Amino acid sequence: MTDNEDIDALAGEFVIGTLDAQERTMVAARRLREPDLDSAILAWERRLSPLNEIVGETPPRDELFAKLLRRIDGQSESSLDGSTVVQLRRRLEFWRATALAASAIAAGLVLFVGVGQFASRSKQPNLVAVLQKDAASPAFLVTVNIDDRLMTVQPIAAKHPEGKSYELWIVQDSLGAPKSLGVIDQGTAATRPTLAAYKPDVIASATYAVSLEPEGGSPTGKPTGPVVFAGKLVPSTR
Amino acid sequence: MAAEDITALLQLVARKDRQAFAGLYRATSAKLYGIVLRILRRRDLADEVLQEVYVRIWERAGDYRADKASPISWMAAIARNRALDEVRRRTPDSIEDHPEVQDMPSEEETGLAVLLRSEDGKKLWECLDRLQPDRRSMIVQAYCEGMTRDELAASYAQPVNTIKTWLRRSLVQLKGCLS
Repeated sequence: MTDNEDIDALAGEFVIGTLDAQERTMVAARRLREPDLDSAILAWERRLSPLNEIVGETPPRDELFAKLLRRIDGQSESSLDGSTVVQLRRRLEFWRATALAASAIAAGLVLFVGVGQFASRSKQPNLVAVLQKDAASPAFLVTVNIDDRLMTVQPIAAKHPEGKSYELWIVQDSLGAPKSLGVIDQGTAATRPTLAAYKPDVIASATYAVSLEPEGGSPTGKPTGPVVFAGKLVPSTR
Repeated sequence: MAAEDITALLQLVARKDRQAFAGLYRATSAKLYGIVLRILRRRDLADEVLQEVYVRIWERAGDYRADKASPISWMAAIARNRALDEVRRRTPDSIEDHPEVQDMPSEEETGLAVLLRSEDGKKLWECLDRLQPDRRSMIVQAYCEGMTRDELAASYAQPVNTIKTWLRRSLVQLKGCLS
């Protein structure tokens, strides 16, 4: 199989929807930087769009439009109700277990200290993202305190690239191009205020991606190297 | 509503015309809600996702390019992507165990006849018809119901790698047939 066929198959599966959560996040992050992949996705959307006709129409409840208008006016209601948090708990515990297992091998006790800090600092639930290539290889743990918009980036099992730097990006539709959240320091947890400029709903719904850049970070302000890890935030339960 | 009318509404929405936005919502929300509800199978989740979809349409209407896709395809792609992201974030249990879960009849096979209404649909119908029946229904089911490879594997009693191979081969065949 050539690369082109590979990209096309991946794009096709992205559009029919059979990729799992990690694969979808990865493809969504990659398409922002890979025009070939993006146009392959658009082509599949076009090819398969007649299938949208098959699914019957269902009118939404009348009240929904008023709610929508309120949201557009910036009076948005939080989408994370209690039940959502409960449902996410199991997933999060799985990620925590994965993250802890990985760190035990790679970083010893450092992560336990990191986890202890973010778990106890705030009354509001923190948001946590595991940035990874696939489920078996978490690379960074990102925690965000939504009250003060402080973010902590904790390397878990990422090998420091020789002569290169990892740079963290926030990716969200409303932002346009990915925005840099800075170069990730080697081997230590770093807390930084770089999210201060973003709205809480943008922070909560964004994808966080790590690209491989020349030492010191991207020279252009946009990702120039491959996206190597990506993930989304979920609420922490504490 | 004709595609040109929806395109005109989108252009007004790009200039933050609220009346046009209301018109666009009236004309398209039943379609988009049908799509997201089909994938999410819970009205509470579909309500939330539908609002997010229209917020995005409100913010991004200016990005719509009439030469790239029909307006409803563009909006449907936003709705499908958002619904798929949401359903993938959840464990199957959190959907299945929920009292609000909707029992949806699987009308796809008979519903395929609606494809014959448009030229693009007819072409797609002919090409789907050339796939083996189980591969065809797999593609249609995946697209409409948002099933993962694992769910398809269980439903078709095949190993997940076989499902992946079938999906990818069927996609190659479809693309060849459609071009």
